[in-house]
Amino acid sequence: MPQVMVVARNFMDMVAALPAGKLDMLYDSAFICEAVLRSLPPLAKKYALQMLYVLSPVTAAAMEEWVLDGYAAKHRVAIDKLLQLRVFVEVRDRRKEVSYKMNQKFQGNMQKYLVDGGSLPREPLPSSITGRLPASADLEAYALDQWERFLLQLINSSQVEKGTSFSSSMMKTFQRGLLSSRDGEAPKLTENGFQFLLMEINAQLWYIMREYILSAEERGVDPTELISFLLELSFHKLGAAYSLNTLTDVQRIAIRDLAELGLVKMQQGRKDSWFVPTQLATNLSASLSDSSSSKEGFVVVETNFRMYAYSTSKLHCEILRLFSRVEYQLPNLIVGAITKESIYGAFENGITAEQIISFLKQNAHPRVADKIPTVPENVTDQIRLWETDRNRVEMVPSHLYEDFPSKEWFEQCCDHARDHGYLLWEDTRRMRLIVRGEFHPEMREFLRRQR
Amino acid sequence: MTSAHSKLYSDDVSLVVVLVDTNPIFWATAALPFADFFAHLIHFVNSILLLNHLNRVVIIAAGVSSCAYIFDSSDAGPASGVGVSDTFDKASRKVEEFIAQEARATASNGSVAPANTSSLLSGALSLALCYIQRIFRSGTRHPQPRILCLQGSPDGPEQYVAVMNSIFSAQRSVVPIDSCIVGTQDSAFLQQASYITGGVYLKPQELNGLFQYLAAVFATDLHSRAFLRLPKTLGVDFRASCFCHKKTIDMGYVCSVCLSIFCKNQRKCSTCGSEFSRVMPDLNSMPDQSK
Repeated sequence: MPQVMVVARNFMDMVAALPAGKLDMLYDSAFICEAVLRSLPPLAKKYALQMLYVLSPVTAAAMEEWVLDGYAAKHRVAIDKLLQLRVFVEVRDRRKEVSYKMNQKFQGNMQKYLVDGGSLPREPLPSSITGRLPASADLEAYALDQWERFLLQLINSSQVEKGTSFSSSMMKTFQRGLLSSRDGEAPKLTENGFQFLLMEINAQLWYIMREYILSAEERGVDPTELISFLLELSFHKLGAAYSLNTLTDVQRIAIRDLAELGLVKMQQGRKDSWFVPTQLATNLSASLSDSSSSKEGFVVVETNFRMYAYSTSKLHCEILRLFSRVEYQLPNLIVGAITKESIYGAFENGITAEQIISFLKQNAHPRVADKIPTVPENVTDQIRLWETDRNRVEMVPSHLYEDFPSKEWFEQCCDHARDHGYLLWEDTRRMRLIVRGEFHPEMREFLRRQR
Repeated sequence: MTSAHSKLYSDDVSLVVVLVDTNPIFWATAALPFADFFAHLIHFVNSILLLNHLNRVVIIAAGVSSCAYIFDSSDAGPASGVGVSDTFDKASRKVEEFIAQEARATASNGSVAPANTSSLLSGALSLALCYIQRIFRSGTRHPQPRILCLQGSPDGPEQYVAVMNSIFSAQRSVVPIDSCIVGTQDSAFLQQASYITGGVYLKPQELNGLFQYLAAVFATDLHSRAFLRLPKTLGVDFRASCFCHKKTIDMGYVCSVCLSIFCKNQRKCSTCGSEFSRVMPDLNSMPDQSK
């Protein structure tokens, strides 16, 4: 899922943007090293592995030998990524030759991982204290329910009867960029907001996490600590109980917020209280490399443009409303129609045809998911056609030149613009030409020189 | 994206089936003790699992007369890497058990000739391919499979047909066979296997640095192989074994109907039953008969 990749990559870019000292501090934890390594592009991962037991610096020239001719660009991307995240450190010797060395902390942690085969961030509580823990199905339902509630509140704060306990200022930070509110008007979803809703759950999660961490500084919390806690959390065992006493103060505050999002479930025993990570938490670092949420879909689209969604969720209904006309709603079924008007409405809001189609495909009901195509071709084609309908006219800012004193001069101008690829239209008879707007200064200069 | 590929993970997710030679006759005289070798192997398996949480590794041991699954990373619980160390303890115990059991079987049989020092490569390859087929058919999206053979003992010419059949079926299902020779002599079988299936064949110079070879060459996912400079095979030994006496031969007779290979002139093909009515001249005067 490319969207997840983009959002998750953005998250890693955020990690990469941390100052070197903080980044090195992060690498004290083996889990962060692991999460970072997994987030790298395949080639970079391979380089990291290859350098794992190499202690002396390797020259950049020698590394370039590793790839076949013609793939130097890929090599550069991989090395840049490794340098950005300070997995590799640049070393220059006296002759100004560039060599790369692996970050020592990173190297040490990874070597340890290979020997031990990974361990747990913290020991789960024994069942004698916790008693019966929620079953994994219950936990999943809880997580999704919590997340959905959060999303509903996010897009439509008025309609929610039982919201999450996020403060309104916190909610505002999350809504930044997704909703636009003009004075005196109800907040409206922006283009980004619509796209956000159509994203996969992991991508949404990453987006929110990013906002959460970016806003941390305003709350007086060190973002580094949050990042490290978040990445660490994803290596906890799904469905096991972990005592709150093992957490630092910052983490304890953070975990309450994460519980609101459905990443963990808080539980209280007689003496202790503990948290139980849900799928949302354990999938967090997993989705950094490749997301594979095998969620069951619920939408059936028929060739007559009718859409049946087997869902009880209000959120699903809201999402479907974005691009279809909901006709009626039964307790477990939403019936709608994809119409030209409804699709146009979606386009107005900045949703693309591809996004709608991929949403329909990803959320296809298991009954139709095995069929090829999942969504009837006439429907997908029509949606694409409707989109191209809107794009029939392309606007290009441009300049019109006319009243040339002589034919030669006109031709020279035409040739000049054509050579640079900026000529849009010419009329030889009446000596007029139209040139792209960005070429105007150059054109003016040219005309002046001619004179 | 075509439907054939939609079942694969987009990225570099791989399923590595490692075939380990546990032949006691070889390891008794090997330059690298088996325990050290196994430590390298565990390192390698860990590093594969480290690279991607969806990666899977299966280890199959190939003994003198039997093969067995030693380790499967998908048994190790959820992808969070929990209990991996436990599983490795279990794996090494399983290897020991397997070797002991094999030794007993061989002793009780008593029929294994001392000259017969090869491991059951064909059996291990078949097990690996069966496992991969099971993954292919499991319905959901699956990782890209490949096989890595860690062989030390010499080839067993008597396994020629079975090994070749495995190689061709691996080729058909697009499963590259990588081979890493930890013994002293090159393996013609594995040279052909890697050549035909597009895998990498390597005979490390310095066995003490085995992990570095494994990490640098064999840990490369199929996605990255397209643009990395990997070791090339210098020459491939294409010699075949005859069907009648299981000897490796340069030249021989080939049945014109079913292409079976024989080292001596036959009246009738033992595979398909075709009768050769014309009497063949002596082999030495017909050098182009077969390669």
